[in-house]
Amino acid sequence: MTSLAPNVIEAAAEKQKPALSIRNYSLAYNTLNGPVSALKNIDLTIGKGQTVGLVGESGSGKSSMAWSIMRYLPPNALETGGAIRLAGEELLDYTPRQMADIRGRRMSMVFQDPSTSLNPTIRLGEQIAEVLMRHQGLTAAQAWVEAEAALARTGITRPKEMLRRFPHEASGGEKQRVVIATAFACEPELIIFDEPTTALDILTARQILDLFNRLREETNVSALYISHDLGLVSRVVDEVSVIHRGAIVESGSVAQVFRRPTDAYTRHLIGAVPNPDRWIGVERPSHPESLIRLEKIGVRYNSPSLFQKLFKPAAAEKSTFWGARDVSLDIRKGELLGVVGESGSGKSTIAKVLAGLEDFEGNLDVGGKALTSRKEIDRAYRRNVQIVFQHPDASLNPRQKIGTIIGRPLKLYGIVPRDKITARVAELLEMVRLPADYANRHPHQLSGGEKQRVAIARAFAAEPSLVICDEVTAALDVSVQAAVADLLVKLQKDTGTACVFITHDLNLIRQLAHRIAVMQHGRLVDFFDRDDARADDRHPYTKALLDAVPVQEAVEAQN
Amino acid sequence: MSWGYFIRRLFAVVLVLAIVTFAVFAITTVLPGNAAIMILGEYATPEAVAALERQLRLDQPWHVQYLTWISGIARGDFGMSLRLSLPVTQVVGEAFVNSAVLAATALVTVTVIAIPLGALAAIKRGTAIDLALGLFSYLGTSLPEFVTATLLLVFLAAPNTGPFPAGGYVAPWESLAGFGAHVALPAATLGLILMAHIARQVRSEMSEVLSSDYIRAARLKGLSERRVIRRHALPNSMAPAVAVISLDIGYLLGGIIVVEEIFAWPGLGRLLIYALENRDLPVIQAVTLLLATVYALSNLLSDIVIALLDPRVRYA
Amino acid sequence: MRNFFASPTAVVGTTLLTIVCFAAIFGPWIAPFDPQVFDALNRLQGPSTIHWLGTDQFGRDLFSRVLSGAPATVTFGVGATALGVSIGAIIGIVAGVSGGWVDSTIMRILDGLLAVPDLLFTLLIVTILGGGMEHAMLAVSIAFAPGMARIARSAVLSVRTRDYVRAAIARGESGLYIVGCEVLPNALSPIVVEASIRVSFAIMIGATLGFLGLGAQPPSTEWGLMVAEARQYMFRNPWCVAVPGLSIAIAALGFNLFGDALRDSLDPRRSL
Repeated sequence: MTSLAPNVIEAAAEKQKPALSIRNYSLAYNTLNGPVSALKNIDLTIGKGQTVGLVGESGSGKSSMAWSIMRYLPPNALETGGAIRLAGEELLDYTPRQMADIRGRRMSMVFQDPSTSLNPTIRLGEQIAEVLMRHQGLTAAQAWVEAEAALARTGITRPKEMLRRFPHEASGGEKQRVVIATAFACEPELIIFDEPTTALDILTARQILDLFNRLREETNVSALYISHDLGLVSRVVDEVSVIHRGAIVESGSVAQVFRRPTDAYTRHLIGAVPNPDRWIGVERPSHPESLIRLEKIGVRYNSPSLFQKLFKPAAAEKSTFWGARDVSLDIRKGELLGVVGESGSGKSTIAKVLAGLEDFEGNLDVGGKALTSRKEIDRAYRRNVQIVFQHPDASLNPRQKIGTIIGRPLKLYGIVPRDKITARVAELLEMVRLPADYANRHPHQLSGGEKQRVAIARAFAAEPSLVICDEVTAALDVSVQAAVADLLVKLQKDTGTACVFITHDLNLIRQLAHRIAVMQHGRLVDFFDRDDARADDRHPYTKALLDAVPVQEAVEAQN
Repeated sequence: MSWGYFIRRLFAVVLVLAIVTFAVFAITTVLPGNAAIMILGEYATPEAVAALERQLRLDQPWHVQYLTWISGIARGDFGMSLRLSLPVTQVVGEAFVNSAVLAATALVTVTVIAIPLGALAAIKRGTAIDLALGLFSYLGTSLPEFVTATLLLVFLAAPNTGPFPAGGYVAPWESLAGFGAHVALPAATLGLILMAHIARQVRSEMSEVLSSDYIRAARLKGLSERRVIRRHALPNSMAPAVAVISLDIGYLLGGIIVVEEIFAWPGLGRLLIYALENRDLPVIQAVTLLLATVYALSNLLSDIVIALLDPRVRYA
Repeated sequence: MRNFFASPTAVVGTTLLTIVCFAAIFGPWIAPFDPQVFDALNRLQGPSTIHWLGTDQFGRDLFSRVLSGAPATVTFGVGATALGVSIGAIIGIVAGVSGGWVDSTIMRILDGLLAVPDLLFTLLIVTILGGGMEHAMLAVSIAFAPGMARIARSAVLSVRTRDYVRAAIARGESGLYIVGCEVLPNALSPIVVEASIRVSFAIMIGATLGFLGLGAQPPSTEWGLMVAEARQYMFRNPWCVAVPGLSIAIAALGFNLFGDALRDSLDPRRSL
């Protein structure tokens, strides 16, 4: 069954069969507290040459689905019924040995994070070639030639050289191309893409998506595209299924699902996709008044040692890595300033400088006073400028109760008398739409979104004039992201606090910010009013970023 | 491997050893008991003591003593043993060879057995093999050397009936059979604790590698389990295993002190205990320094091996 | 901490630990015989209904001697570790918190000290201080300090870069608050785990020192010393070396298992 060449009649019959069909499939995991259901009565069909999107938030069961199809389940998995058929063949009946023969040959997978899915001690070439040797019986030499061709098809300019490299010598995008080349190497019938762009930067992600679309057309492969990003999925798939708490709540063609969603959860998800044309921010302050000015701010990482400065000044200058260089901008009272860039662009460095966490060069002008170093930042400044971090798990001390965490700024800056702290904490919790009794909980008892609300409440407890939000929505699910963004806007409205919102999400920032600063390689390359985002005189990098995330089907559906 | 990396590591070793010489010197010079009196006996005349103190340079300030000592070491001169009236280099040299033979026998045997055992336990996680190794390794790490040694003696070296001699040493180049008989019990004693430790670490490293994303990716490529283990998992868990072995050389060097004492093995450990009992300062200093040097060099060696095994370190 | 007793390691470790601690607290009172009374007629006997674990070279009851030696052994292990951990943790925390040249100086010195094997280091210090239980304990704790310092430092370093510590710095908290309320409570668990495993090493080194005549002195019933004293007679009655020897192993095993179980329950990722 496994490696026999199908004869003509069978081939004709197979044409009718979908590449993958899942019928009434259910999966649970055995835990200490009894079986926990992961997938419930899943029905999913992928026709020949078709791409189906599977969209869900974290914990929805979308990854379990991928493992089920690949027959790669943990020992505590409990399949409670149904069928998974690859071109009509029941995968559930296959032995592990038969499955090993199918994996990589007839169906393969592309993973989320290429930096962990490649073996760090094996050359990239071998990692592609080994699949060809395993499944097509090629010799090592033949396999390397094939591997080079496979890599060339992914658009890598010098594939031969790339094959000789180790994973740590390649960039994220290059590594993902290697993974994709491996997946396509044996010309499989089905490829599962599990969030293949989530770990990549905006522009790289865009290239990988284009590559995906091109390869799909060239090879006519069938694909299952798993993602949390509804907007993104709408650009690559023919049909989409929305999965929520282990069950598929909606499926159909992209146009149908986005324009006429029947399920409440789907509508909620579509509503949460950021729409750059729908303004949800606070009103622009009528009289622009400067709050803090950054003047020629620079931050060096791995500064040269004294030895280098004395004996090799040229090399010392070269070895200096600038986290940020010559950044000048002003933050106005009551506004929301967006700072956008890819990872390593220096946007978080600027946040740290503003929060007094990073040594800097240049000036920080606050109310007519120029601060020239981190040491000059005093507690009054620190009270006025609060920061909220990206990962809510890491920014709350796991050993303190929520009440203690939110109450700390009140106590530290003497904002309310000591006996009023509890009452004020309750008010603040209510402000961020959390129940007052959360004060007695520990952070691990809260969900990610709730923890981020606590971090926001702590920042606003100080009654600051500026809150820095460093990628505060990046670690959250789409629907939670929207709620957190809404909350920030509401708090800004109520308190008049200015906000620096740092993000890589251009669509989101265009909904919120009055002005947008674009950073690249530590420098400020563009700074403009949000209404001018599409103006012709935008920096080419800004244009590239905007083009990488076009207005999507989902967003059009909102209008 | 880049030379810069090697030179940095070598420099670190030299620095560590410099600190060790200082620590050893500091500890040994504050040892109570006047060396001159110990050599001459309680009833020596004050003049004789003073004369010997001068001869031993004990009357000089400590930094002069340190510099004299350290410059002697630089020339390979560790002074004279106070008790044995022989050059320290000679006494320690012989003992070092004997200890090295014992330590190497134990280490090589253990490594050869423990690494596959640990890997096997990781692959067969939760099975009887895994459980047995777990029990064994807990037992091994909870038995002090002197208890293991004593129990081995009781059961395997009873006078006239036991298969092994209760102590002593025959060099391998004199009689291989005689060496084998004499080395078996001391090496087994040292081996037990090492084996327990190394096997457990290899198992835990291997388990971690086996649960990594790239192993999952390799399996999802349809590679045979044999290739997944041999080409993907094993090499990646070797680098940490080497690090563990080099740390265990520290245990081993401590262990030989007790083991040599119990089995009357004429090595560094036995020499050290003799020197400590007799306050033979130059010998104590030399042995301590030697053991620390061996340890530091084995760490250097392991760093180099790790760099050869792992491309990420190699080009760092 | 949840499901601590779900693992067999934890159950066995805690059971052994309870037995050992029970013996250490009540041992001398529940011993059926006086551990020091000679009985010339019943020398070197195997286990019997009267002498559960046999008798030694002087006819003393081994069960009673092991029980009366328990407090010394456990006190030694826990005491030496507690002292060593405190010294080491303070050094490590100072290094980790201050950073810069203070950190690198401390670390270089620690590297040097760590190059000397533990037992050798302990022997050197015991020789300086002179034998005896207290000195041996001090020696073990000094020998433990560098290793503990390194663990404490890395625990502090890993916590120091967490966002909640950054948040505290950004708020303008005092150094004392940051170290005391944000860093230490979170750096403590690896230190506690390492300490509980180290108790087993301390027990073994203490017994080894007793065995070498550098720790407890006769007529103490410290277990290492008991093995040393009975060695001459071990071929005539293996029980008189096996009983104290295995007692050491049980005590060490208890702390070992307990520490491992503690680590696994605090850090589920590392569970084996």
